[in-house]
Amino acid sequence: MLHAVAWVVWLTAALVVVSTTRNPLYLTLAVAAFMTTARAIHRPDEALAAPLSPGRLALFVIPLAAFINALLARTGDSVLIAIPPTWPIIGGPITAEALIYGALNGLMLTALFTAFTVLNLAVPVRDLIRFIPRAFYPLAVVVSIAVTFAPTTLRQMQQIREAQAIRGQRMRRLRDWLPLFMPLLTGGLERALQLAEAMASRGFAGEGGTPLTRRTQAASIAGLLGLLSGGLLTAWRQTRWGMGLSVGGSMAIVGALGLTGRSIPHTTYRRTPWGYREWLVTGGALVAMTGFLFLGQATRAYNPYPTLTWPPFDALAGTALLGFLLPALVVHERE
Amino acid sequence: MRRFLRALIYALTTAIGLLALVAPVVMPGRTTNAPLLLTFVVGLSFVALLLEVQGDAVNAKFIALLGILTAMNAALRFAEVAIPGPGGFSPIFFLIIVTGYVYGGRFGFLLGALTLLVSALITGGVGPWLPYQMLTAGWVGLSAPLLRPWAHWLHAEGRRLEIGLLALFGLGWGLLYGLLMDLTSWAFIVGPAAPASTTFRATVRQYGLFYVTTSLVWDLVRGFGNLALTLAFGAPTLRVLRRFYKRFSFTYRPQAA
Repeated sequence: MLHAVAWVVWLTAALVVVSTTRNPLYLTLAVAAFMTTARAIHRPDEALAAPLSPGRLALFVIPLAAFINALLARTGDSVLIAIPPTWPIIGGPITAEALIYGALNGLMLTALFTAFTVLNLAVPVRDLIRFIPRAFYPLAVVVSIAVTFAPTTLRQMQQIREAQAIRGQRMRRLRDWLPLFMPLLTGGLERALQLAEAMASRGFAGEGGTPLTRRTQAASIAGLLGLLSGGLLTAWRQTRWGMGLSVGGSMAIVGALGLTGRSIPHTTYRRTPWGYREWLVTGGALVAMTGFLFLGQATRAYNPYPTLTWPPFDALAGTALLGFLLPALVVHERE
Repeated sequence: MRRFLRALIYALTTAIGLLALVAPVVMPGRTTNAPLLLTFVVGLSFVALLLEVQGDAVNAKFIALLGILTAMNAALRFAEVAIPGPGGFSPIFFLIIVTGYVYGGRFGFLLGALTLLVSALITGGVGPWLPYQMLTAGWVGLSAPLLRPWAHWLHAEGRRLEIGLLALFGLGWGLLYGLLMDLTSWAFIVGPAAPASTTFRATVRQYGLFYVTTSLVWDLVRGFGNLALTLAFGAPTLRVLRRFYKRFSFTYRPQAA
């Protein structure tokens, strides 16, 4: 089990790489690297698999994105089908360039999705909850309660369903779900009451909240104003001021978060060790990212418009992408 | 003053969220990583809103209730993922709207946002779309109390008419949710610099085409699913939630030493 932060660094580097290129060769290579990593982490004995595998998503999203873009973008030199322009809405040429560009969007989406699949597979839910900022401590408690009780709720649903089936109740119409839903809701609310009593008797924050202090409230309002005006200025092409205001606003909001977090006491019972494997994973991802950004500068961008050409490829930049494979090599060592 | 500041935070985050959602359509194609930047901005304004809203979530009763209801709703969504129903039908909005209506907008907001977070955590669906989904589902719950003055004005409390109002509200949000979510997938799927989209009018027309081809049917299914669910389950659910509201309104008082 690797440290969760190492995975977040890996994911961030992967996202940066994916979102800065649109070259199908690099994207395919990246998807292959991510998928290999996902396969290496995934153990077949784990019960809950991701509901949608990247492969299936790719089969669905790439044709869809290609189709939509072909319908929307009507430029390009290689006309495949010429629909008479007098036809409403769909009139105009369908070009190979637009089709390819849409497929590239789909490919990029697949790459993003695959990178996130790796995170979901690699990091247990418990560690993901730890990433909720300390300022959101009450909400983190809510999330832990919900994650803990969700399987219980599913089991309860099953039990109620069996009980009603024994009584001869059948599921035909929507209304037949009512005898299933109401006991579930009532039971859940009763359990919430018990849980609240148990928490209060163990001294968990009694009555009366601690609403935001004036300072944090002011900071978040200032931050929001900065983001809003910054965004609008950027839209009006005042990029320098806009960017400045946006960054300032972001920092004010992060500051508000930090201010609130500091007032909440925090103890760590067990530290997850950070060993050489974590260094390897983060190092590999960062080297891959910087290497790709520098070496692939000329070949990263690829635009099929106006005439389709074969995408350029730089062997060194492609090799750099293999840095994302490092976790696959080290993840199962000494376990 | 407090109320004013609070309203200001709501208004600002709503404005930023809406602008970020609309931006890819209104000003197409700037930079390659616009969708990720927008996700970052939406995430930040969502953080500010959460900071404000969670101020209430510090007593044990609120937290326990929210946690259990979130677990229930996420489990319902899990059932939806496991057994694919017709089209975009999703049972989660019913509970978000009804609890928002009975327990207040902040409760509804947190239930909406956390339901999507928790179900993403348990089904392994964490991704760049998550902040948008959380924010929009939060809006659903946050806006539900807006119905209260209407219900009061029509003397609908406790009558069939109240359920009708909630059902129509669910229908509206079912359609609107799809429209807003489509704006985000527009940013990701159509991506930057579809070169034909140069003028505002052309982009809006393209978006309309995109919307009709990809999601109108799903949204209709979702909207009418909400409507049917509310009509079928609305009255008993409201009764139960109101009964428990009374049972939950007690206070612990530490004994004076």
